[in-house]
Amino acid sequence: MSTIAVEALTKRYRTVTAVDDLTFELTPGRITGFLGPNGAGKSTTIRLLLGLARPTSGRATINGRPYAELRDPLRHVGALLDPNVFHPGRPGRTALRIAARPARIPGQRVEEVLHLTGLGSAAHRRVGGYSQGMRQRLALAAALLGDPETLILDEPANGLDPEGVHWLRGLLRRLAAEGRTIFVSSHLLAELAQTVDDVVIINQGQLVAAGSMAELLEHAGASSLEDFFLGATSPDVRPAPPTAIRSRSLS
Amino acid sequence: MRSLVSTELLRLRSTRSAWIPLAAALAIAVVAVIANTSMTGHDGGMHLSPAALPGLLRASGGQVIDGAVLLAWVVLSAGEFRYRTSVTTFLGEPNRLRVVSAKLLSAVLTGAAVGFLAEALSAATSAAALSAHHVPLAWSQPGVLGAVVTVPLLAALFGALGVGLGLLLRNTAAAVGLALMWAFVVEGIVPALTREPGIVRWLPEAAANAALHGASPAAALPVGVALTVLAGYAAALAGAGAALTARREIGTAIG
Repeated sequence: MSTIAVEALTKRYRTVTAVDDLTFELTPGRITGFLGPNGAGKSTTIRLLLGLARPTSGRATINGRPYAELRDPLRHVGALLDPNVFHPGRPGRTALRIAARPARIPGQRVEEVLHLTGLGSAAHRRVGGYSQGMRQRLALAAALLGDPETLILDEPANGLDPEGVHWLRGLLRRLAAEGRTIFVSSHLLAELAQTVDDVVIINQGQLVAAGSMAELLEHAGASSLEDFFLGATSPDVRPAPPTAIRSRSLS
Repeated sequence: MRSLVSTELLRLRSTRSAWIPLAAALAIAVVAVIANTSMTGHDGGMHLSPAALPGLLRASGGQVIDGAVLLAWVVLSAGEFRYRTSVTTFLGEPNRLRVVSAKLLSAVLTGAAVGFLAEALSAATSAAALSAHHVPLAWSQPGVLGAVVTVPLLAALFGALGVGLGLLLRNTAAAVGLALMWAFVVEGIVPALTREPGIVRWLPEAAANAALHGASPAAALPVGVALTVLAGYAAALAGAGAALTARREIGTAIG
C-alpha cells in the first residue's frame, strides 16, 4: 500500500509563505480530505507533492520517494489538479492518448477510463466543446490512466452536477475499498463528510488538525465537519490550535 | 525516449495550427516550381536550362519550409504553457530535460522529414516542368545534391530554434512576432546600429540564406560555416529554453 508523507514542508514566494513547516502522513488505503480556506496552501502543497513546484525546505514523498524520482509515476500516482489542462482543439480520446503514451499505457486502457468516467460517447469530440463537468471527468480519466494505487485530487467535484457528484462519491469509495490511498482537496464540506475517513486541515500554510474525522469531531464536540472546520480555521484559533486535535501523523 | 518522441509527434499530428503551416509549405514548394517555370520568357522570369534545376530546388524548399517548421514548433512548445498541457506532460515525465530533449529530437526529425519531402515534391515537379519545356534533366550537376541535403538540414535546425523560442517565451504570439521581427527588421538594422556591416552575416537569417544559396554574395559565410553558426544559435536557444523549463514552476496559483 502506498503512503504520502509531508515533512516540515515550506514554500515561500518572495514575501508570501504559502506552506509553512507542514508535516503529516496519510494512512494507506483510506480517503483523506485536505481542507483549508482559500489561499491556505492546499494547491501549493499538492503541486509540491507532485514535483511541479520546488519546496523552499522540507520534503514531500510518495512511497518514500519524491514524485520526480518515481519510476513510471503515472502507474503509481494519479493526479487531478485542474480540468483545464487539455488542448481545446484535440478530441478527448487523443488528449488521453497523449497523456498515456509517456508511460506506455495501451489504447485499451484509454477506452476503459473513458467509459469509467462516462465520456465514451463524447471521446471523439474536441475538448473545447466540453462542459466544465465533462472536462473534470476527462481530468479524472487522465488520473486513472495508470490504474494507480495513490490518487491526489484537487477539487474533483468542481463543475459536476448532482448526479456527477454522486457518481464521484461512489467511485472514490470503490477505489478506496480496493486499497488505494486517496487524498482529496475540496471546499464542499458536506459532500466531503460523506466520503472521507480522515482529514488534514491547514490554514495560512500551517497544519491546524489532522486525524480520523470521527475522532476529531468527537474530541472537539463538533456536530459536523463544517462546524469543526470553521472552529479550527477561525482567526481566533490560529496560530495555536488546540494540541488535542493536532496530529502529526494519521498512520 | 522513444515513447516521449512518439508523444510529441502525436501532439503535432493532433494540433491543426502546427501541421497546417507544414502542409501549406509543402504545397508552396510545388507551386513555387510551377510559378518559376511558367515565367519563362517573361520579364524577370528565369531562363530554363539544365542549370536551372538546383535553383528551382532551393527556391521551392527554402525559407518557406524553414518558417513553417519554426512556426509549428513554436506553436507546440509555447502551446504547452498557453493551454496548461505542461501539467499533464510533466506529471507523465517529471524529468523535464528528457521532455525538452524529446521535443528537440522530434523537431529535428520533423524538420528533416518535411525538408526532404519538399525537395522530393519540388524535384518531381521540376522534372515534369523541365521535361514539358524539352529541357534535359541533369541530376548529377553540382548544386542538386547540395540543395537536397541543405534544405532538410536547415529545416531541422529551424525546428530546434522553434522549440527553444517557444520554451523561452511561452507565448505563441510573442514568439512568432519576435521571429518575424528578427527576420524582417532586426537583421536589417543591426549593421546600421552597430556600424559594422560585416556583422550581419553572422546573424541567423543571413546564415540561413548563405547556407541555402551558397556563398554567392561576397560577404556571405561559406555554407559549412553558415550551418555551424545556425546550429550554434539553435543550441543556445534550446539550452536556454531547457534551463528555464527545468527551473520553472508549473501551475503557479497559490492556495
